[in-house]
Amino acid sequence: MKKIINKPEDFVNEMIEGILLAHPDKLKTPGDDPRILVRADAPVAGKVGIVTGGGSGHLPLFKGYVGHGLCSGVAIGNVFSSPSSQQCFEATKAVSGGAGVLYLYGNYGGDVFNFDLAADLAELEDIETRTVVGRDDVASQPKDNRLERRGVAGLIFAYKAAGAAADRGDSLREVAAVAEDVVDNTATMGIGLSPTILPTTGALSFDLPDGEMEIGIGIHGEPGIHRGVLEPADAITDRLVDALVEDLELADGDRVAVLVNGMGATPLEELYVMYRRVHQILSGRGVAISRNYIGEYATSLEMAGASISLLKLNDDRLALLDAPASSPFFQEV
Amino acid sequence: MHSTELIEQIQRSLTEVVKSADELRDLDQALGDGDLGITITLGAGAVIEALAELPDGATPAEISRACAKAFANANPSTMAALVAGGLLAGSKTWKDLDNVDLSAAARFVRAAGDNIAQRGKTQIGDKTIVDAIMPAADALDAGEDGAGGLDAAIAAAEKAVIDTRSLRSRRGRAAWLQERSIGLQDPGATAMWRFLESWRTASVAARS
Repeated sequence: MKKIINKPEDFVNEMIEGILLAHPDKLKTPGDDPRILVRADAPVAGKVGIVTGGGSGHLPLFKGYVGHGLCSGVAIGNVFSSPSSQQCFEATKAVSGGAGVLYLYGNYGGDVFNFDLAADLAELEDIETRTVVGRDDVASQPKDNRLERRGVAGLIFAYKAAGAAADRGDSLREVAAVAEDVVDNTATMGIGLSPTILPTTGALSFDLPDGEMEIGIGIHGEPGIHRGVLEPADAITDRLVDALVEDLELADGDRVAVLVNGMGATPLEELYVMYRRVHQILSGRGVAISRNYIGEYATSLEMAGASISLLKLNDDRLALLDAPASSPFFQEV
Repeated sequence: MHSTELIEQIQRSLTEVVKSADELRDLDQALGDGDLGITITLGAGAVIEALAELPDGATPAEISRACAKAFANANPSTMAALVAGGLLAGSKTWKDLDNVDLSAAARFVRAAGDNIAQRGKTQIGDKTIVDAIMPAADALDAGEDGAGGLDAAIAAAEKAVIDTRSLRSRRGRAAWLQERSIGLQDPGATAMWRFLESWRTASVAARS
């Protein structure tokens, strides 16, 4: 295993320490537990707080989206494992400004159970919460079972929209509705080319022979829906975009936001090769790309691969997407 | 049962229940990821400690909330979160109550079972802890006195646990085993059964 780490068990805490030292004006840890980060100005009185959370190993996902116009706080687990309910609850208290708190995270069992329990604990202290889970990975379940899908990179669109809604002063019910609406209109599919090495064990997250690709892979290396010989970029992109267009039922005249996301070890150059093809396919179908995001937004440590997310737009969603936002890992003006 | 007695009873029961940790670990290794023994051991230890630190005059609802928080924090597993959520749901049925009797116990267990079923998206027959909780709640409800109700609940839970052997697991990691789960005894339901037995052992010990 070749990694720039000290002791594996210190990896997560030392990473958080680094983030705090780099961005003391933007982020803080509210108590003794370094696994909770909140906006430096949290809690914001009278505004809905948004708490996200999940395992480490996905940066910028989760902790990178704490900031203005985005999430208010995050509970951080070990690599690829859930934060505890107590950590979710502490994050909730730290961002509660009296208007309630939205839980917004990906649909994974451990995260769901721990955030649900945190909601119970919050209720005991009269903090109202609501929950919306990202479930954009179309490869993880067919559309008629879409509520069971995994949440992957498309969660970023929900952060952006819900954060904008909270910042403009929407109620908890309204912010949750915005998040739910964006989740409902987001679809993602990914491809994996090589696994990651788990820092704790030194083991590979999955096996994939040289020269093969896994279509529909999850962000922890969960198996996808097709494994086969590595294809050219255009053929791969066609597979992904065709599935997304079908899932969102995009038609001539529709508008979308496109996210081409690298999983950690794929160069930006390759992501732009993919984007070029996404643009060709959508233009050919009469679908306009109103906004594009290309880079690393939800990674899987050093997994090679990429995902493509589409958000079907209307005027409301576009306005929320365009609202100002800033975190150490995400800027939009 | 008033607060001091309730705290001592819970502590003694949990000291007793950890003796089943190896059995639960083995059952869970066959059907799940094998951490149930650790979840119970760490959780029980944390609860015993947390209750020792509660201020005098804590109400039964506060006692059960302290149990929930300590159990969940000791080990952030799915089972721990589900059980803790169940305990919090149970504690809501104890609002404004300072004496826990049989009917209060039945209400608590039923609310806990309902909460776990809802959170875990599971129902009776899915081969989970809920299979043992709900019949135990029924038996407590039908009981005439504390000892009789507890005996009936233990019998009901035992029957439910034996019945899980012929069922196919439908929730959690065990569901991945599909048909191969048939013939194996559910660890979660077994934990509930062992806990009820431990409650009885601890009550007998306290009386003698």
